[in-house]
This record gives sequence, C-alpha cells and structure tokens, in this order.
Amino acid sequence: MKILVGVKRVVDYAVKVRVQNNTVDLKNIKMSLNPFCEIAIEEAVRLKEQKVADEVVAMTIGPKQATETLRTALAMGADRAIHITTDLRTDYMELQPFAVSQIFQKIVEEENSDLVLLGKQGIDSDCGQTGPMLAGLLGWPQVTFAANIETDGKSMTVERETDSGTETIKISQLPAVVTCDLRLNEPRYATLPNIMKAKKKKVDTRAAEDMGIDLAPRNQVLEVYEPPPRKEGIMVENMDELIDKLKNEAGVIA
Amino acid sequence: MHPMVRDLYKRVIHVGYDYPLGLDYVRKTWKKVLRNPDNCPSCFDEHKNQIVSPSPACEREIRKAVGKGRAYIREMIGIIQLKKYRAMKKRYDN
Repeated sequence: MKILVGVKRVVDYAVKVRVQNNTVDLKNIKMSLNPFCEIAIEEAVRLKEQKVADEVVAMTIGPKQATETLRTALAMGADRAIHITTDLRTDYMELQPFAVSQIFQKIVEEENSDLVLLGKQGIDSDCGQTGPMLAGLLGWPQVTFAANIETDGKSMTVERETDSGTETIKISQLPAVVTCDLRLNEPRYATLPNIMKAKKKKVDTRAAEDMGIDLAPRNQVLEVYEPPPRKEGIMVENMDELIDKLKNEAGVIA
Repeated sequence: MHPMVRDLYKRVIHVGYDYPLGLDYVRKTWKKVLRNPDNCPSCFDEHKNQIVSPSPACEREIRKAVGKGRAYIREMIGIIQLKKYRAMKKRYDN
C-alpha cells in the first residue's frame, strides 16, 4: 500500500502573529510543520512499521524554504518527498484549498497512491477543506477528524471524533482519503541525527505553475484584523454588588 | 573538545529552537555546564587554566556524561511535545 501524506509549512504555533495591511506579516517569522500534518506523517510511518504500507511519500506545496519542512517529514520516517514550488502565499491569501486539492489530485493519479493522509486543518488558514475537496475530486471515500485508524491494506475501520461523540466508519475498499485529528497519535520529534540521515533521501521538485492547473484564488479576502483585546475585569466588594452588576450591567440574571 | 560533546551541543541547539524558554536560555545554560571545569577535573589543566584534550582515562566518564546529556535532551523534547499538545487541545477542542 502506498501512502501519500500532505504536509504544510505554516507559521509556528507558538508565534504571536501581527496583522499589517490586511494580511499577516510573514517576514522573519518562525515557520514549522503544521501539527496536524505531523500527526498524519506519524500515522503513515506507524503503518509502514506495522508492514501494512510499503512506501510513505511526503508532499508539500510552498516556496523553496519548504524543503526544510520536507526534511523534517523525511526525518520522521517518510521514504521520498515531492516539493511543489510556488511563490504564492499558502495561507489562504493567494493559494486556496481548491487549487491545492487539484494539485494533490494530479499527484495522486501519477503516484497511484492507495491512501492519502492529511492533517485536519492548517493552523494558519483553519479551512479544513483540502481533505474533503480532494476526496470529492478523486471520487474516493473519505473520513475526516480520524481519532483511530485500523487497516489491513484492503479495508479500514476509522473512528471519527464529532461534537456529539465518536463515530465508527468502515471503508470496505481502499483507496481513501483520511484527515487526522489531534488524538490520533503522538508524533515523534525529528532529532538531529535523523535529520542528517534524511538528507540522503530523494526529493522531487516540480513547479506548480507547470502543472496546468488554474491556481487563481476563488475567494477574495476582504479584511484581516486582530481580535479586540480582552477588557479587564472588575473587582466587586460583596455579594450584593455582584448580583447588582450581573442583573443590571451584564444582563444575565432576570 | 571531545567530538561526542560537540555533537551533544549541536543536538541541544537543534532542540533549543523549539524549546518554550527560548534558544538563548538553552544556549546559556548548556554552555555554562559544558565549560564547567568541575564536571571533568581530569581534563582541566590548572597550569593553563583551561579545558584540554581529554586523557584516555576519563573517556569512560565523558561517555557516561554524554549519555546523561542525551537523556536530558529527551526530557526537553518531552516538554516541547507536551506544550504543543496542550496548546492544540486548548485551541481546537470545544
């Protein structure tokens, strides 16, 4: 079984971004692997270690600095990597999920993958659309927000996390698209020796503009602004004042 | 400097990029510890007042110390992973 894992180079989760000119300021900001994509790679590598999968291919779309992201993915255990180079912004401003899923569709058809593992959403754009769109374009079954995957190479049983509980879905025939949620596994950390070893692994580079896909954004971002700062709380002296404030100012008690 | 100690320091810096307290903190504390002459008295030359190449006698001590250092790096990685998991859980769980 061949697995294709999509990874995304995003702003690091611990960085506080600044908004300038209706976009997020990306200059000199620390970028790293999307946490949900790390979970997807970890799942693919675990399936390879259980001998269910033969090959794990990591793929990313981004500028030339995205090769560092691919090196981390290779260090976690992927066999090969595909780098689709583009200078468009990948955080929903210029490159949007529909174009991304079309690129993925083309690569999946060329690579003949049996399973596509993606992260549930990118922490910069928070769309969560690439997985379902890709499944729709390919006509494959899909499971989103997977919290547990069991597969034997031909069929799979996936537990989904929904707001009202856990849903178990059986896919009787691979290939399929699965989007990974937080509780699927704990991704391993790519230590320096692994990254050194990953430098020997193969990375194919292609240009996104040469693939014959219309990369123009379908949606236009009108405005980007920071959330209003939290107002500071007030201290109350006694219970009567608390009830008075709740009744009159906040309006939560009748 | 012993090549294993140099390799240990490189591993620490790689982990330090993600460490919550910051790369500067990691670099300062580790450099202080690695340069401390009390940690390997047989490598410290009192006449020259600096750390010299280690003698074969303390090779075993150095390897043990590097092992402890690598275990400490694993603890740091654990802290990084925990912080990331908690941040993602807080943000994306309803």
